[in-house]
Amino acid sequence: MIDPLYGLLYIFIFPGFLFLFLYALFLAFLDRRIAARMQQRVGPPFFQPFADFIKMLGKEVIDPAGVDRAIFDAAPLVALAAVMTAFLYVPVTGNSPLAFQGDLVVVLYLLSLPTIVLFLLGWLSRNIFSAIGGIRAVTQLFIYEVPFFLALLTPALMAGTWSISEIVVWQQKNLWFIFLQPIGFIVALIGLQAKLERTPFDIPEAETEIVAGPWTELTGRRLAIMDLTIDISLVVGSALVAALFLGGPLIPWTVTPSWLGGVIGFFLFLIKTLAVLLVLSSIKVATGRIRIDQLNDIGWKYIASASIVQVGIVLVMNYLWVYA
Amino acid sequence: MTGPLTLDMVAGKMKEFGVSEQVRNNRIRITTTPEKVHDTIRTVQAMFGFDRLITISAVDNTMTLELVYHLTGPHRMVVSIAVGLPRELPAIATVSDILPPAAIYERQIHDLFGIMFRGHPGLARIVLNEDWPDNEYPLRKDWKPNPDTFYGGIKGERS
Amino acid sequence: MPEVVVSIGPHHPALKEPVNFRVIADGEKIVRLELDLSYNHRGVEKAAEQRDFIRVLPLMERVCGICSHSHSTAFAKGIEEIMQLEIPPRAQYIRTIIAELERMHSHLLWLGVAAHLIGFNTLFMWTWRDREAVQDTLEEMSGNRVHYGMNEVGGVRRDLTPEQLNAALARLPALEERVNKYVVMVNEEETMLIRFRGVGRLSKEEALRYGTVGPTARASGIDYDVRKDDPYLAYKDAPWNVVTDTHGDVYGRTRVRVWELQESLRIVRFCLENLPEGPIRVPAPKNAPKGEILSRYEAPRGELAHFIRTNGTDKVERVDIRTPTLANWTSVAMCLVNQNIADIPVIVAAIDPCLSCTSRITLLDNHTKKAGIISFDELVRRYRSRNPEDVQP
Repeated sequence: MIDPLYGLLYIFIFPGFLFLFLYALFLAFLDRRIAARMQQRVGPPFFQPFADFIKMLGKEVIDPAGVDRAIFDAAPLVALAAVMTAFLYVPVTGNSPLAFQGDLVVVLYLLSLPTIVLFLLGWLSRNIFSAIGGIRAVTQLFIYEVPFFLALLTPALMAGTWSISEIVVWQQKNLWFIFLQPIGFIVALIGLQAKLERTPFDIPEAETEIVAGPWTELTGRRLAIMDLTIDISLVVGSALVAALFLGGPLIPWTVTPSWLGGVIGFFLFLIKTLAVLLVLSSIKVATGRIRIDQLNDIGWKYIASASIVQVGIVLVMNYLWVYA
Repeated sequence: MTGPLTLDMVAGKMKEFGVSEQVRNNRIRITTTPEKVHDTIRTVQAMFGFDRLITISAVDNTMTLELVYHLTGPHRMVVSIAVGLPRELPAIATVSDILPPAAIYERQIHDLFGIMFRGHPGLARIVLNEDWPDNEYPLRKDWKPNPDTFYGGIKGERS
Repeated sequence: MPEVVVSIGPHHPALKEPVNFRVIADGEKIVRLELDLSYNHRGVEKAAEQRDFIRVLPLMERVCGICSHSHSTAFAKGIEEIMQLEIPPRAQYIRTIIAELERMHSHLLWLGVAAHLIGFNTLFMWTWRDREAVQDTLEEMSGNRVHYGMNEVGGVRRDLTPEQLNAALARLPALEERVNKYVVMVNEEETMLIRFRGVGRLSKEEALRYGTVGPTARASGIDYDVRKDDPYLAYKDAPWNVVTDTHGDVYGRTRVRVWELQESLRIVRFCLENLPEGPIRVPAPKNAPKGEILSRYEAPRGELAHFIRTNGTDKVERVDIRTPTLANWTSVAMCLVNQNIADIPVIVAAIDPCLSCTSRITLLDNHTKKAGIISFDELVRRYRSRNPEDVQP
């Protein structure tokens, strides 16, 4: 059991909600800046996402006629709560003090909640564009979830544990999973890009086809909170990939004193999540959007089969390890 | 049919339909009557290979309303088939069955000039806005906007 | 049986100009299309009958922003032919330079818009930035980025100074390099290929039958190009080729347009380097003799036809404008049936519609099925019944 004061500090300040909030806005800024530089534009200043958030909170909330206001108010908050909670189990400076067996599964489920919320909002908006967008969101969810989950569960298979923090410790003793399971790493990155609904997978909110999909009727503070949810999912997703494949915040040797190890770990965490963000931004800039039926094709033919092959390889390696 | 067409080649064959004249180095004009337009177009399509409709132009000649059908083909000559229609009840058979793009041009001409095209698949209001009053054909020479008529838009916004 | 009506427009992020597509959809496939393009009618043809030849040219130019020079040149050369005026070669070359620069800026704009429509914003940003080189040249030469005001009946109104010529020539090599890169990109970039190939296909027979013009027709293998069929201005002298492709889908139209960009660069370079000396205008009579002319011009979007009739006064009796976009709408409506909703913006954009040019048209289907909006439960139920693999067990 952890010390309650320490627990509260961990959850709310660092590396909990306050840090998460600031880091999410920082990563959003970096994403836009990298994309702009690649497109030979200037890009926004560093406080832009924060300014957008504050501005949007103050804007008028417009309720379409006949819409259930209570759910429209509550749904974005539920999505935000889900992803913020998911971050608590991801190791930031060392092991997460809230870790338990199976927290990997919990994190994966919590990360799926924003998509379900988007579908709900699309359904409830009484608007054909939102309905189509919501349907596309869950269709996309069905397509990429299987390979994404499989790719993120193979590290657990090899490490023999269902806790993210223990997987990180396993990597510290052995080898980073990016070297042991490269296929899984690539599938995880693709799945993450699809989960965050970024190009080439931004089908549900395809601006040029269905206005904004399920986001169409979100205004004011609801839009601010949903935007923040997506930004935080970016952080959680990158941190998860960094923890499971890049060794998380632990370095392959122990450092004394332990607080120095924590500080170094924190910097490693920053560097690794930034590396993942760089890859995701490059993919976003270099591609156009694909259609939902093409995603269906590619998803089941190539991505799902790749992840199944990866699972097969891991099982074979486990067997050989045990008997070798 | 490729190669340059000459006036003689065309005039000879088209004599039954009307008078032909060469108005430009690559354009031949045939004047014909409303009943023969359909057959004229079919003949130039089949015999001389004019398979593409450039446009259908309509002109108000104060005494008649004139329609000119411009066609071209792989030989790059242009033939203009002109007919005159009476002002009171201008009507002619549609050519959209043999030339599909004519459907759009005929609808536009119907809206602006009031020429009726018999057999057209759908001659509803298209070029002008939905609340334009009936029987007002703006491109006719004798049309002037009536200050008391409502021609569409938002009522009461003009002082 | 009721179907779902998805109304795209008249205000929609996919459309750059007001148009209303009522798409009758079955899931994601389009069953029928109802076009309503009646939002931009300004009565230009009627207004032209009340203006003399000096005042009517600015009106003609403002039929469209992107192809402004096309309209004013088509009209001016029509009137000049009725008056039997031969304009000096320097004026013809200057008109050609502006015409080809206009074609280049229009095609670069289109390339960016097509990329934006498939969500590929990087290409959108790049092409619009390169387009600025063309716009800078046009602004130096004419004082404006659109609506150049270069034409008058009898020649051009402004001359080009040697500094302007040198500045324009200096910009061309960089632009050429970028265009070559776009040619490679169009043929090899995966997401563009996926979204463009096989979409909105028109066979050669269909394209001929529906009367398509311009790059849309040339992408289906039809080699009609008014600059070669009915040569005018300096196109007889400049070395260039008609660009065709055989694919007939949006991919083919993209290829045709980027290759035309390369051809336009060659024409501009030739005209800039070989600009003949001499006067830039001849005095034109005030009145035009009685006559009739069909003046055809290859605008960036296709064949533009001005049918002009004069009656001996200083105003036209009638000018009938048939714009290339109007000619291409039939093919759009025909090739949209049985495609996906997601492809509507791409297919419509592939004909490069300029609704400002088009008068209003509405194209209705022959069927008389009633259409209505159905409830969301039914929508989801119908979708699931057609796509059982998407239903979670």
